[in-house]
Amino acid sequence: MDPADHTASFTMDVLDPMYESLTRFDQNLEVSPSLATKWSVDSSGTKWTLELRKGVVFHDGTPFDAQAVVDSFNRMLDPERGLAGASRVRTIVKRVTAAGPGTVVFTLSSSYASFPRVLAVTPIVSPLADKGGQLSRRATGTGPYKFVEWKTGEYVLEERNEQYWGPRPAVKQLKWIWTSEPVLMNMSVLAGEADIINPLPPIFAEALSRNPKVRLIEGSEARVFWVALNTQRKPLDDIRVRQALNYATDRKALVRTQLRGFGTPASSPLAPADFAYDPQTRGYPYDLARAKTLLAEAGYSNGFALKIAVQEPDVDLVEALQGMWANVRVNLQIDGMEHGVFSQTIFGSPKQKAEQGIDCVFASWASDNTDPDYQLAPLYRSNQWSPSGANLGFYANPHLDLLLESAAAELDGEKRKALYRQAQQIISDDAPHVLLYYARDIAAQHTGTIPMPVRLLPGGRVELETKN
Amino acid sequence: MRNYWLRKILAVPLILLVASFLIFWAVRLLPGDPARLMAGMQADQKVVDSVRSRLGLDKPFAIQYEIFLRNLLHGDLGTSIRSHKPVAEEIAERFPYTLALTTVSFALAVAVGTTAGVFAAIYSGRVLDHLVMVTAISGASIANFWLALLAMNLFAVRLAWVPLLGANSWKSYILPSITLALLPSAVIARMCRASMLDIIHQDYIRTARAKGLSTAKVYINHALRNALIPIVTIVGMNFASLLGGAVITETVFNWPGLGRLMVDAVRYRDYATIQGITLLTVAIVIAVNFAVDVFIGLVDPRIRFD
Repeated sequence: MDPADHTASFTMDVLDPMYESLTRFDQNLEVSPSLATKWSVDSSGTKWTLELRKGVVFHDGTPFDAQAVVDSFNRMLDPERGLAGASRVRTIVKRVTAAGPGTVVFTLSSSYASFPRVLAVTPIVSPLADKGGQLSRRATGTGPYKFVEWKTGEYVLEERNEQYWGPRPAVKQLKWIWTSEPVLMNMSVLAGEADIINPLPPIFAEALSRNPKVRLIEGSEARVFWVALNTQRKPLDDIRVRQALNYATDRKALVRTQLRGFGTPASSPLAPADFAYDPQTRGYPYDLARAKTLLAEAGYSNGFALKIAVQEPDVDLVEALQGMWANVRVNLQIDGMEHGVFSQTIFGSPKQKAEQGIDCVFASWASDNTDPDYQLAPLYRSNQWSPSGANLGFYANPHLDLLLESAAAELDGEKRKALYRQAQQIISDDAPHVLLYYARDIAAQHTGTIPMPVRLLPGGRVELETKN
Repeated sequence: MRNYWLRKILAVPLILLVASFLIFWAVRLLPGDPARLMAGMQADQKVVDSVRSRLGLDKPFAIQYEIFLRNLLHGDLGTSIRSHKPVAEEIAERFPYTLALTTVSFALAVAVGTTAGVFAAIYSGRVLDHLVMVTAISGASIANFWLALLAMNLFAVRLAWVPLLGANSWKSYILPSITLALLPSAVIARMCRASMLDIIHQDYIRTARAKGLSTAKVYINHALRNALIPIVTIVGMNFASLLGGAVITETVFNWPGLGRLMVDAVRYRDYATIQGITLLTVAIVIAVNFAVDVFIGLVDPRIRFD
């Protein structure tokens, strides 16, 4: 129940109605005021000053003020606390100070243009509840819903916060039920036992889209699916081989068969929901002849074998890829893994991956704040090689490193976009990943329920539209 | 006789100690890193390391086990890394659901299984017998989660006779308990038939008939009572293992019991919870075996444990 101590996006769904952040995303995914009413940055890009909303009270009665914001951030900056979801804030923020009861000043370690976007996904908690150690079992924020009860693995119950500072939502009570079975979710929305289900696998979405009892809620395309290629191992250290695999991938077929059309073939490492996404990025059309030529040039006209690490539920998908790559005599050996084994394996060091013979990894990434820095830096910067970060194929391009660093610091929106345009093309050309597709976020709502405006945030979090 | 029971009781703490070590050790053999799972895919190594040290998983194995044992002696099974609740509290919350579901299904399985088995034995070789046995073999071989999903789709979604998820009313018990009873009732039916067939050809049954007892009396008082011993053993073993949580059934029906808790705990490498549930299961198996021994002694006074 502590928003800084977990990392699952669907846990944030549950917490979201009870907490608020200093900023939030509006309908167009632009940053707009929430607990902070306005903000400014100095010319160095490192000092951000925020004015706070007055008259806001936490659910436990503690007043919301500058000190609460300072406390809320300081616990994340404290390495002793070891909060699981604090890594981003710790990297970016150096110091938080109160400059009066209604003003906070953030000092960053270096200029960071999308800081307001980071704030939008960093909820403020009641300092009193945090000191009492109650946050792990009981959410205490300022949001339009208050925590009532949490039965582990069963449900979380929330009720409307009648003291909410903004307009109060129409629905009085929210009950979140968790299940690991997509088929159960599907049945529960049909039976009307659930009003909303999220996330909805494409295979069910296709069937439910024809059912009058259910309305589909489609979000943006924020998640990029890819295969990371181990650039430190033969034969994938050869750029021609990596490009050949890209040419040998029929992305349209993957979108049609695996996503049932709920997505788009990928050409850029950024997703369409990202403001810096450049649809003009040159990707790789499906071209078997080209793939064969490149492999022949690289000396692999007779093909080779590759081992791919993949989570069990995604094995089907990788089998489709296996069929496609067999056309260029690449024998893809699928190592399907249970979730825990998978996450340990893919974050192995270059040495560990060499020992295990892992050539590639099938995974995906979504930047929850739709900022290009969080989509590109962890995946492609050379200081992010696993296990430090999520550069799972140990890709390194010094020119790209510099480009990403200056883009993250650039405060001018248009200049920043131009830098990311270059970065997208470099990554596409170097082909450290086989970029597959962008999946659309889908949820479903039972049509018989009270009309409650629901939208999907990038990455698939469902947000009940209650905060105005 | 008294020595036997004494030895048995004295062995319990030892068995639990050995089991606790094996569980503690085996859980840590599982590949997968709880700190990484908690910090998530998008966390960097520094955060993963600080989470690991907070969970105490950076300490040497022997120290971790010592801490675990010391806490265990105080009745403290540790704290779940997922829910931040004491594991003992978590188990206490979930166990009644598993106990209720298991008890209902077992009552059902014993009733259906013995009745079917007895009739199959009486009508051995005839249509009824074949019918019962074919049903029993199907019941034992069918994937019960698949059958459960079909039943849910029909009775909960289409007809809306019973609720789909959770354990909210007595109606919630209908589908999961039938699903869970399927396999044990098939096993009991087959066991019961075999056991009865063995007995109804014995001399004393012929004697019972010869002295003019009614058929029902012969079968129930004389045959079934003697046929019960292997059945009780089987039922006891099944009951004990199911009390540890009917994993698949609970998952399919979103039942808030121990089985689902276990699945989630394994998925997130929640060591303390896995240890707690497994240890409880060991204790239950010991207790039920004990009860079976006692019960068999009561059913058949000829059996003596020395």
